Amino acid sequence: MLSPAFSISISAEEPNKPDSVAISAYDTTLDEIVVTALGIGKERKSLGYSVTDLSSEELNTSGTTSLTSAIQGKVSGVDIRPSSSSPGASSQIVIRGARSFSDSNRPLYVIDGMPVAANPDYSTGNSTRGADLADRSIDFNPDDIESISFLKGQAASALYGIRASNGVVVITTKRAHKKESKPTITFSTNLSAEILSRKFHPQEIYSQGTGIQSYDPNAATNWGPKISSLPDNPVFGGNNQGHPGMYYNPKLEQAGLDPWIAPAIYDNIGDFFNTGFTENTTLSITQTLDKATYSFALSNSYQNGVVPTTDMNRWNVRGLVDWQLAKNWKTGFSANYVSTTIHSAPGANNAIVNSVYQAPAEYNLKGIPYHIPSDPTVQISYRPTVYDNPYWWAANNSYYQHTNRGFGNAYLEYSIRFGAEENMNLKIREQAGLDVYTTSDSDVMEKGSAGSGGGSISNYGVTKNIFNNLFTVNYNALFGEDFDFDAMLGSEIEDRRSLYRSYSGSNFNFYGMPTIGNATVYTSKEYESRARTVGFFGSLSLGWRSMLFLNATGRTDVVSSMPRNNRTFFYPSVSLAWVFSELGGLRGNGVLDYGKLRVSFAEVGQGGSYKENYMSVPTYSGGMYTYSPVVYPINGITSYVPYQQVYDPNLRPQNTRNVEAGVDLEFFNHRLKFGYTASYQDVKDQIFSIPTAGSTGYRYILANAGRISTWSNEIDIQGVILRGADYELNLGVNLSMLHNEVVELAPGVESIMLGGFTSPQIRAEEGHTYPSIYGTAFQRNENGELLLSKGLPVATAGSVCIADCTPDLISGFNLNGKWKGFGLSATLSWQHGGRMYHGTNMTLNASGATKESIPWHEGTIVAEGIDVATGEKNTVEVDRQKYYQAYYAITESGVYDMSFVKLRDISLTYDLPKFGNFRFQVFAFARNVLLWTKLPNFDPESSQGNGNMGGYFERFSMPATTSIGGGFKVVF
Amino acid sequence: MKKIKSYIYLFLLAMLLMTTTGCSESIMDEINKNTSNPPVSSVDARFQLTDAIMSMAFTTYGGAYAWHVASYTEQIFGDGNAQMMYAELRDPIVTAAPTTFNNEWNNTYHNLLNISQMITKCESGINSGQLDLLGMGQVLKVLGYEALTELHGDIPYSEALNDAIRNPKLDKQEEIYADLLKEIDKAIGNLNAAVEQNMVSVVKEDILYKGDMKKWLAFAYAVKSRLLLNGSARYRDNVKLALEAGEKALENGFEGAELSIFNGVDADNSWAAYFRSRHYSGSCSTVANLMEERNDPRLQIYADDIFETGIIYAPAGNSTLAATIDYVGAPAWVRNESAAIHLLSKASLRFILAECKARLGQDFKEDFKEGVKASFEDYLKSGKDYVTNGEVSLASFSAEDYIDALPGIDLKEVMVQKYLSQSRDEQIETYNDLRRLRAIGETYVEMKNPNNTSNGENRWPLSMPYGNSDVVSNPNVAAAFGSGNSAGYYIFTLPLWIFSN
Repeated sequence: MLSPAFSISISAEEPNKPDSVAISAYDTTLDEIVVTALGIGKERKSLGYSVTDLSSEELNTSGTTSLTSAIQGKVSGVDIRPSSSSPGASSQIVIRGARSFSDSNRPLYVIDGMPVAANPDYSTGNSTRGADLADRSIDFNPDDIESISFLKGQAASALYGIRASNGVVVITTKRAHKKESKPTITFSTNLSAEILSRKFHPQEIYSQGTGIQSYDPNAATNWGPKISSLPDNPVFGGNNQGHPGMYYNPKLEQAGLDPWIAPAIYDNIGDFFNTGFTENTTLSITQTLDKATYSFALSNSYQNGVVPTTDMNRWNVRGLVDWQLAKNWKTGFSANYVSTTIHSAPGANNAIVNSVYQAPAEYNLKGIPYHIPSDPTVQISYRPTVYDNPYWWAANNSYYQHTNRGFGNAYLEYSIRFGAEENMNLKIREQAGLDVYTTSDSDVMEKGSAGSGGGSISNYGVTKNIFNNLFTVNYNALFGEDFDFDAMLGSEIEDRRSLYRSYSGSNFNFYGMPTIGNATVYTSKEYESRARTVGFFGSLSLGWRSMLFLNATGRTDVVSSMPRNNRTFFYPSVSLAWVFSELGGLRGNGVLDYGKLRVSFAEVGQGGSYKENYMSVPTYSGGMYTYSPVVYPINGITSYVPYQQVYDPNLRPQNTRNVEAGVDLEFFNHRLKFGYTASYQDVKDQIFSIPTAGSTGYRYILANAGRISTWSNEIDIQGVILRGADYELNLGVNLSMLHNEVVELAPGVESIMLGGFTSPQIRAEEGHTYPSIYGTAFQRNENGELLLSKGLPVATAGSVCIADCTPDLISGFNLNGKWKGFGLSATLSWQHGGRMYHGTNMTLNASGATKESIPWHEGTIVAEGIDVATGEKNTVEVDRQKYYQAYYAITESGVYDMSFVKLRDISLTYDLPKFGNFRFQVFAFARNVLLWTKLPNFDPESSQGNGNMGGYFERFSMPATTSIGGGFKVVF
Repeated sequence: MKKIKSYIYLFLLAMLLMTTTGCSESIMDEINKNTSNPPVSSVDARFQLTDAIMSMAFTTYGGAYAWHVASYTEQIFGDGNAQMMYAELRDPIVTAAPTTFNNEWNNTYHNLLNISQMITKCESGINSGQLDLLGMGQVLKVLGYEALTELHGDIPYSEALNDAIRNPKLDKQEEIYADLLKEIDKAIGNLNAAVEQNMVSVVKEDILYKGDMKKWLAFAYAVKSRLLLNGSARYRDNVKLALEAGEKALENGFEGAELSIFNGVDADNSWAAYFRSRHYSGSCSTVANLMEERNDPRLQIYADDIFETGIIYAPAGNSTLAATIDYVGAPAWVRNESAAIHLLSKASLRFILAECKARLGQDFKEDFKEGVKASFEDYLKSGKDYVTNGEVSLASFSAEDYIDALPGIDLKEVMVQKYLSQSRDEQIETYNDLRRLRAIGETYVEMKNPNNTSNGENRWPLSMPYGNSDVVSNPNVAAAFGSGNSAGYYIFTLPLWIFSN
């Protein structure tokens, strides 16, 4: 029952895969082979746990450069939260809910049998400033993928040991299948144009200013008088100063222009954002020969973002060879080279879109020069340059990321059939691989930048070297008609070395050369680390009459990053599948073709990163400082202080227990398939950096504490709606309902911060779902009525939990149809519930820039609520402007429901009639085209942070886009 | 073929061996070794001293405590339409929030941990017997805890900084105060011994006095003097003791404890760094009016027309001006990235002496004069080169002429001059004075901010809210902070033990 290992066999028995051009959505058979842990192919019916796999046709790779966006909406139980649609944007992917409060919850990625790095190398920290930093899954070209399996539960992934507690994404790259005398060459390309998925439309009635009477060309708010009334303004109006119909804007004077202008409305948002462009091209050549199969591919992805200067360029080269050396011997390798460059733009506190959205409608942000004529370092903007003028920013500053990466592996395999009827099979396999990359990033702030007057440059990066060795012995036997037995033993070594480095300089001598060489202050840092994991594992499988399948696995891991004598741990898993439709009475009943009950139990651990307590050179930054005001060494003197984290020498491995049960049913000659999985996961003894009371002298202690439990309910339905000789229409629905709860944190710790500002923050809060939003709330009485002081809302002094983020339901609807040469596919995503902090809406409301704010600019209000002074109903009348400014100063006002329905993608393909040896397919597609959401003004899929807070915390984040494009594919 | 096969078997065997031997405890220990950072026990305490001083000046005395308190004392006007506007409006969203001082709370305790490690190393570790370094550590320890208790009241003390205790209890301020007085006497004892024995364990790393033990001794006496005077609402006899300690400081040549390492290159003055990052510091009319009444030359530096708007200072609590950005003038020194930061200025010690003497009926004119003179020098040194338009009239900076022109010199004038002097960067000390004098029913500088009361309730903070890390992670502090709508509002109703009687 076990198909040989990871590499797809080239023996003649292997069923030919359909031509990759044709769409072949749901006509899978029951004997379908699914790639499971360690690349072991198993019949789907024998699995005691749920595995979802997607073929290349089901991935939606057109018009995106990102693997995660190609799988969004396709898989139940997998939550994908992109940070934005920017080139190279990170996205958070979490399978069946988080397991770790503060560490990565991203799954393990395995490509062609070898684990590869996919996490970001640098965290965006609190994500309150700076640009997004890519995660390393950006290096994988979605178009190289032949199939992708999601090992969601721990029983499915347990063989991978400690790295697998977050689930595993097993990727098989494209290769040849048919024996052919000449190579198959495939060339495909697609091009698309992008625009903002939702363009913000500001109010265009009221001008910049701090009150309805006071136009102020320096104000940070748009609460000023009507734009049309500006010529009458007593200070700036021209009607009584000899410039009838005009008003005075000192910024024009700064720019050396005539300062008297007539009021006009400018589309600052439309002016600033470009039309983006994305291109994906792949050229591949594959062939199967007598004794070998090979596949080579070269691809390029290029994306130009809607925010000026943002882009991404990725080149992938890969080669894959399998070679049957002799009857029993086989070898092969997979090699990949990737070069990825990304230019991104900052969000939140030094966001670039901030000054675009907040720009007063009467200010011509694009038309008025962005610096004074005599000095390019003196910016001109509609308000003081605490924030950069976005055009100045685009002309001068950059956030650059570049990665050069090589990964791949080679293997040698020996297999032999023996026994009386050749009913036994033994296979020994040795595979070694490397994942080596160097990332070089550079944050450049030219002289004259806001918050860093003298300018600064920070060049930083990491060189990683990950070695992996996998050795397995596999024994398989069929005993008579009824029993099928399989045993496997193996070992794995993973050795990781990293060297992080950073070289920074600041205070440039002169403008025009923002390089380290032109800096006058320098610092440099290096940090080296090593880690090793050695694992021993085994599995036993027993099948009976194709009806009952029992599988048990065990793995022991020894990890270097734990304290001495606490490094070794063992994890078991057991699963049972019962194909009850094989029962005599049910066979051939005409309605139910297939029915299976499955149940599994597993335990997987996670190690910590333990160190002996150490000292470090102190740094000064953060808080109110926008730069590092004190940098050691000072005048050649340096200093050491205790590191802010203390390590618990009694650290134990973290433990995840998972029980999963489910049912798979197929009806009406496999036209309707239904799958349901319930999973309960309990994570105990979490290892995390527990925030401690500052009075301990430390900020964190790395120790075991806390517990999080998650119920996940997943439903997958696939139905053939129509099927005929030359047409077919299929619908797939996947629903995920996740409920998690932070059962406990460390003793005395009520909540821990994942990121954000002083208020709000994203936190893990005891008794709430993970994560939650924490910040200042409206003070209310016991009846929930708003408390008002002098007619204005009052905030709580301390922060409280103001919202749980996790959505109630995440679902995807996939429609697939074909008729003659035409193919249609569409993905609709529906997310119900879930809340996020949307700082942009909140801030734009507070500054009077939104359309919603139009009625708040004039007049007074007696707000509903209880006056704290009297305890009675409020009777104090206040200016509306004042009321809404006070209202939107309180964090709770920035929490929004993020429910949405989105037509994520739709594509139409047409296979042209075969022309000689050439097969052509043309296609057109659109992504993220229709959006219904409760969130005002913006797309909810845009946020700050590349870690666990991702998706729920927004403040002037890079925008989401809609794209439309087309392409073609030719095979010969 | 057979030969190849046996090679392959050998290879497979080698793989298995490699796997099993690659994970012994000693190999794993070696792999997990931190090659980039030293373990705590191996670092000489003198390397810890540098940042112990830096952090004390930059963060504890020159950071967010000072920035906010300066608004409460009306020595700085909070503007910029953000955090400091809310402080200026006395909005509990800032004044009572545990997040407001979280960084300073954490960093001060972290520095105290660093200092306690220094002290331990001098008592029984690799710096054993270095009484000079020990004495410095003890002075710094007193400074750190003094700031914390005088700002927050009852704080974690006896159980703080203990690896085994994650939720330190709160100690009574009365007990902490008594212990700090003992600790400063220990410091004085050790520094005296170090002076006598000519100890020089540290020179370069002592960024305050370059290893001059006599200066450290003088500083320790000055700290003691200030500490005693701050407790004088509780213990009236402290006035006499403060005078004695202060005179000892002078005898030993106290010239001020000011950290002057800032250079505008790799180390910026904290107020200047704050201003460079956020334009939240303006000049306040409460100071400016006192200066105007006295025709004070320091006004040229205190209220500088940085933004050339003609509005050089703002009335305390003015909500319109608090909402402006880059509008109200500011003290010239907020742009001086090289300005020194005071832990305790020469002027302040002189005003402490003058106050003590005035209260004891002694002649305080000399101390008063020296105090004013020192303040004039400090204003000039920190601000003269940073005034926006035109030059500062140096001729007007004659302390003698200025004092002669004052209508009378009494205790009130001592306190007014101390207030003006400390507007430079010792606002925390002014805040202590204001609360101490309230406790004994004396007012010399009137607070004008109309937001100090709201709906008849006090909104002038009598202390600072606890740091958020303890409010969230330490049930003892959480209980003291309170919960619900009134969480944190104790700071408006409960005066600290030391500033009440």
